Amino acid sequence: MRRTRFLAVGAALLLVASCGGDGTDGESETATDAASETGATTESGSAAATESGSATATETGGDATAAGCTELNIGSVHPLTGGLALDGTQMDDAAKMAAEDLSVDGLSITISSADSQGEPEIGQTEAQRLIQDGANALVGTYQSAVTTNLATLAQREQVPLVIDVAVDDAITSPDNDFVFRIQPNATAMGTFGAQYLAALGEASGEPVETVVYMHDETSFGTSVLAAFKAEASNVGIEILEEIAYNPFEVQDVTTEMQRVAAQEPDVLVVTGYYNDGVLVAETANSVQPNVRAIVGVAQGAYDLPQFPTDAPDASTGIFDSNYHFDATKERVQDIRSRFEEANGDAMRTAAVLAYQAVEVIATAAGQAASCDGADLAAAIQDVEVAEPLLTFPGPITFDDSGENENAQPVLMQVQEGEVVQVYPEEFAEAELTFPAVPWQE
Amino acid sequence: MSRTEATQTLRTRLDIPRWSWGVVVAVLVVVWRWAEVSELAASGPGRTIALQALLTGLLIGGVYGLVAMGLSLIFGVLEIINFAHGAFLTLAMYVTWLIATTTGIDPYLTLLITPVIMFVVGAAVQRVVISPAMGQPLENQLLLTFALAILIENALLLVFAANPRSVRIPWASAAIGPLDFPLRLGGAIIELPRILAFLGGLVIAGGLFAFLNRTRTGTAIRAVGLNPTGAALVGVPVGRIQVMTFGIGTAVAAAAGVLVLPFLTLEPTTGAQFNILSFVIVVLGGLGNVGGALVGGLLIGLTQELGGLLFPGQSKLLPVFIIFIATLFLKPEGLFGGGAE
Repeated sequence: MRRTRFLAVGAALLLVASCGGDGTDGESETATDAASETGATTESGSAAATESGSATATETGGDATAAGCTELNIGSVHPLTGGLALDGTQMDDAAKMAAEDLSVDGLSITISSADSQGEPEIGQTEAQRLIQDGANALVGTYQSAVTTNLATLAQREQVPLVIDVAVDDAITSPDNDFVFRIQPNATAMGTFGAQYLAALGEASGEPVETVVYMHDETSFGTSVLAAFKAEASNVGIEILEEIAYNPFEVQDVTTEMQRVAAQEPDVLVVTGYYNDGVLVAETANSVQPNVRAIVGVAQGAYDLPQFPTDAPDASTGIFDSNYHFDATKERVQDIRSRFEEANGDAMRTAAVLAYQAVEVIATAAGQAASCDGADLAAAIQDVEVAEPLLTFPGPITFDDSGENENAQPVLMQVQEGEVVQVYPEEFAEAELTFPAVPWQE
Repeated sequence: MSRTEATQTLRTRLDIPRWSWGVVVAVLVVVWRWAEVSELAASGPGRTIALQALLTGLLIGGVYGLVAMGLSLIFGVLEIINFAHGAFLTLAMYVTWLIATTTGIDPYLTLLITPVIMFVVGAAVQRVVISPAMGQPLENQLLLTFALAILIENALLLVFAANPRSVRIPWASAAIGPLDFPLRLGGAIIELPRILAFLGGLVIAGGLFAFLNRTRTGTAIRAVGLNPTGAALVGVPVGRIQVMTFGIGTAVAAAAGVLVLPFLTLEPTTGAQFNILSFVIVVLGGLGNVGGALVGGLLIGLTQELGGLLFPGQSKLLPVFIIFIATLFLKPEGLFGGGAE
């Protein structure tokens, strides 16, 4: 009896421990995949931004006697050890590369690196240390949980934080003037996902009217779904069934796929992480439900070059609406090839975003009254970074909440074993194929 | 005699066997979720879904059972609650992945290699790490294996990073004789690797039973499980048997790891999900009851899949944990009672 109780307590501990671990992983993957912005948010946001913009402009004007910003120290907080180290170190390296690239006469940029270890508390302590050591601004952090802590710290310490990767809507707010995000947030991801899906139908001449939505049951999947749902009704798409699964425990989705098959939707929409995404694609290939396409919305597998390699038979034709570096731009190609030369690994989108975050701060520093955190934040609020490295339709500018007003995902498709950008047209590397499912000959 | 005695005894309370509560709960659930049940039963697609859930649950349950058997064996003989069981499983999967990708051999062939390697690893761990802690309070051993799990997971992270990896068999979707894989059975789909994992699990379980019941070493292992002091008195080398048992338990987990690799994606934390389920299964089947673990595995597999149908939108593990808690309350010795205890 005593042993049974021990076992029970132990199992409970194990469960708690593993859930904790999963949470961190989840956030990160969430971050890898996620995001964009709703039109509505952007609009109201920009209206407010005008107000605050003019307010900060006046303030900045008051301090304008300062000599401007010449020596900029940026604190880079990423997971450099632990399960997320691969992306974290890439992002840190990209930040350093950006500092080197963007240092000019009159503005020297240095990066101070810190390891969040994937833990919110450690990330916060490390960021605090960097600020005490003289960091004028922060970039980071790849995980929503860590970024949330840093956002609070940034406001308290009056040091701007430019988020490279973190998807949670709640991190930014109009009340926090020190936090800015380049990538689209969860809401934007869902909204654009629905719009792109409607566009797919229009392009084929036969509208997409019904979908079944499979998603991970974490806050990531549910928040993207909620945004998708809101926009779906606007574009005439009906969600026949929502199927949730636990992305960290799932080992089989055949039964779920039979439920999809039973509904016979036009399209199967999927939101989730890497492993479950591969499982869903492979199971779909076995069950072969009568759908016209499988479309990921912020899906963590379907936009990665590794996906067609891992699931060669089950990946062809699968779409993903996700943020992505702009493969069509020469400057991006140059940065990525130089990065690969120096680091050996292909530069991932997360690392491109870290580079972009440093560029945002560097550009703002050129216009700031001083390198002082408050001055920098005011300058970032008003900054306009033309030619973004990601597939955004316009320059990077921030609304009152600190969200990038032009944050937008791009639709990608697996074609001949590679992930290529297919929509919107200005970012298309190849023509999209629709309908398309892996089991089509 | 006992029958007449029973009639003569004055029975002051109604003696309901506790398992009947299980039946009551099952009936209540069906009534409660009648909408879902009738929907599944009424339409053709609904029946396909139900059949799929049944088959999937059974197939995945066989693998769960195999993993849990290793855990149960170690507990039954060593009285060690091995939290590192899932980590050993992950380690075995990495070993298989390494062998399969570097040599290019079929991953199933590593069934002859990986369990042997993991037997040695398990035996060494018992010899070096666990055995000094034997006889210490349970919580010490618990923390020790917990630390071992963290150590293995992070070592794997260090070496292989968190990149997801996978091994796929090219002949998984092909015609083999008259059978065309993936197999279609009344609309339900069965993928070949899952069938192989299930059958492989049953064969290995059968082998383990035969070994425990038919061989001298097996008898010695059971003897140590029943009474280590007694076994030592009749000349069984208890220490060596314990080392061997830990090795076998680990090898069984390793075999399970090889069997699931062709349909799962591998990460340093992959084994953790099996760990939690294994504990539920071991409690369900009875601590140290190896056969109970196999049946418990099948039950949990079915509960997970059918529960997912009856409670859509919830984690599939919810019904599993309800059963876990119910077992602890109603039948703490497990459905089939403790084994070696």
